[in-house]
Amino acid sequence: MKKICALLCTFAACVLARADAPVAPVKPVAMQPYAEAIEHTDLSIEMLPIPGGTFQMGSPSTEAEHKDDEGPQAEVTVSPFWMGKYEVTWDQYDCWSEQLDQRRRKMMSVDATQRDVLVDGISKPTEPYTDMSFGMGKGDYPAICMTQHAARTFCQWLSAKTGHYYRLPTEAEWEHAARAGTTTAYSFGDDPELLDDHAWYDDNSDDEYHEVGKKQPNPWGLYDMHGNVAEWVLDQYDPTFFADHPKSVDPLNVPKTLYPRVVRGGGWDDSPDILRSAAREGSSDEWKDQDPQLPRSIWYHTDALGVGFRVVRPYQEPTAEERAAKWDKCDPLQIDQD
Amino acid sequence: MTQPNSRREFLKTTGRVAAATTMISAAAPNVHAGEDSTIRIALVGCGGRGTGAALNALSVDNGPIQLVALADVFQRNLDSTYAALSGHNKIGAKVDVPDERKFLGFDAYRQAMDQLRPGDVVILATPPGFRWVHYSYAIEKGLNVFMEKPVTVDAPTSVRMLEINKQAIEKNLKVAVGLMCRHCRGRMEMFDRIQSGEIGDIHMLRAYRMAGKTASAAVEPNDGSMPHLHHQIKNFHGFLWLSGGAVSDFLIHNIDESCWMKNAWPEKAIAIGGRHYRENCVDQNFDNYAIEYTFADGAKLFVDGRTVPGCKQEFASFAHGTKGTGIISTASHTPAKSRLFSDQAMTKDKMTWAFPQPEPNPYDLEWVDLIDAIREDRPYNEVERGVMASAVTSMGRMAAHTGQEITLAKFMKHDHEFAPNIDKLTMDGDSPLMPNDKGLYSIPMPGLVKNREYL
Repeated sequence: MKKICALLCTFAACVLARADAPVAPVKPVAMQPYAEAIEHTDLSIEMLPIPGGTFQMGSPSTEAEHKDDEGPQAEVTVSPFWMGKYEVTWDQYDCWSEQLDQRRRKMMSVDATQRDVLVDGISKPTEPYTDMSFGMGKGDYPAICMTQHAARTFCQWLSAKTGHYYRLPTEAEWEHAARAGTTTAYSFGDDPELLDDHAWYDDNSDDEYHEVGKKQPNPWGLYDMHGNVAEWVLDQYDPTFFADHPKSVDPLNVPKTLYPRVVRGGGWDDSPDILRSAAREGSSDEWKDQDPQLPRSIWYHTDALGVGFRVVRPYQEPTAEERAAKWDKCDPLQIDQD
Repeated sequence: MTQPNSRREFLKTTGRVAAATTMISAAAPNVHAGEDSTIRIALVGCGGRGTGAALNALSVDNGPIQLVALADVFQRNLDSTYAALSGHNKIGAKVDVPDERKFLGFDAYRQAMDQLRPGDVVILATPPGFRWVHYSYAIEKGLNVFMEKPVTVDAPTSVRMLEINKQAIEKNLKVAVGLMCRHCRGRMEMFDRIQSGEIGDIHMLRAYRMAGKTASAAVEPNDGSMPHLHHQIKNFHGFLWLSGGAVSDFLIHNIDESCWMKNAWPEKAIAIGGRHYRENCVDQNFDNYAIEYTFADGAKLFVDGRTVPGCKQEFASFAHGTKGTGIISTASHTPAKSRLFSDQAMTKDKMTWAFPQPEPNPYDLEWVDLIDAIREDRPYNEVERGVMASAVTSMGRMAAHTGQEITLAKFMKHDHEFAPNIDKLTMDGDSPLMPNDKGLYSIPMPGLVKNREYL
């Protein structure tokens, strides 16, 4: 009888043992894939474990299409984390930007929990003047046209919403995850002729993005790391940052200026060389050229139709101090014009 | 800072080159009034779009141009506009607006225009309810004008604007209306092709602007921190007397470009719409509108407008002809990516024409065209077109808000002026529309109130 109870406790972490029953010792759980449900919606975000490790960041000068800012290669170590299996979709993104979760909660006459109050305190984008999907589709298509600030704020919201710490990946984490243990130009080898099976890019995208997860995943199960949409990371773009910081652990080039910041992986509107695991791209104010308003919005890159993001969750959650000093640090402060 | 190259950057660059090429106009003789050829600009209405328009204006590079005065009813708008423009890396040097030329209040428009000489340009970018007031003064001062769309919000002011405009034409003033799609080179070529019969007779057009919450269309109650008049102006898309609401402000471009391709204004409209998710919002808008316009030859224009989060989004206009179809605009206003097809399904292999990409930005082109006309002294007046686009849009809105069929002839004779004393407002006075004791505003009641849009 006691044995059965212990077994039950092992299988069901949330079972409250009776006071007189022995409690099974809690063992650290190995990292598992999981789906983070978004309360008050039908949505969840699928997360995959990414092992920590040391890898050669950048590309050798012998790699076809190698660019100066990809070398010399640097030995970089990153700690384990979970990463979104897919790019953040419009459905997930709109949940924050248009408060669809809270609207539904109110329509269902469900009282606000402590978590809903927290979520309410996170800023959200000003209402756009236009359909930011530019007619290419919403739902399971990747969210686009957001500034890095908007992507960071989404992560803040997701953290408040779920109680787990989510953020953008660092540039090093992104490349580590994209390579998935490979050293070739792409995670499937060096031959761009094979791209069609793995990525949406300028030659096969039909001039628009596609629903996430329609091509083959990389060796670690991540979809669309090459192509579909380029993905925001936390870092300021600096062509020599990794070469200047050899043998670093969990490097992050904390932003000090608004431009350029880094997107990785290339998008539906890019050529194969931009999709390589080592290729780097910096943002610019021209990504707001179409915005007919001045001052231009802190939330939208009206011209970055091939830019989105995915989220990560570090295995070892940083303290509030560590977050303020490094992971969430970002200048200049972005303030909405009223 | 060296940027990594990407196709995104390449496209942007080629786009700029293309745009720059269209902006280089032949050296024009200096016929500009005054002692020098500098065109001076005053901005009346320092919201986001007005500031953007000033930026477009100062970016025209065919002679000296300078911003010399600002006017608004909110100090914070004056401050933020001045900061954004004077600090702009490309045109900051063309901003010469010391504090004594920043004017505050409902008569600020006069003071700002008083800084200009005949032949200079005033940008009218306040909510459109004020347009006829400001335009009248601009004509009196002999100024060239750029006015944002819409240019009217109801029938009486539409008739008034057409009347006022006669003096502007008489004085040979150059007057532009911010329906920038009319300046899009792709749509222009498409118009020519449609008129020459490439897709046969146009039987149907469809226009969509379906998005989530947009701009200030949904307005939360005034929390008491400011007078009702200020609260309404700050949230002007929510109130018909100021903006004509979501229909006028958001749908006018797609309605106008569709009518342009048909080369006619519709004769009547019926419409449906309603308020589903209102929560505690107090504005006068519906969440969704579906307008059916009918042209003299029986052809239809269907317009869907929606500001409900989480639903299908579309922001485009289409033309259907007896021999083919056209995509007038693809998504948002620019790039339009206008193209024609020989079938009704608009399948890729049936595409017969597409405007080459990248295309120049019409927000820039509308200014290039206006300043060119000023420097070369060519007749230039877009007001009648702008008024008709505004009136046709209001007619559709009225059909939805009253639940009645509205003909254009009947609309133009309608006597409900939303804000008859808009030229006499004061900062501490009442608004033309005041809330009841519960803080609620009068809203449309289709079928119950049929002869005006709200009581």
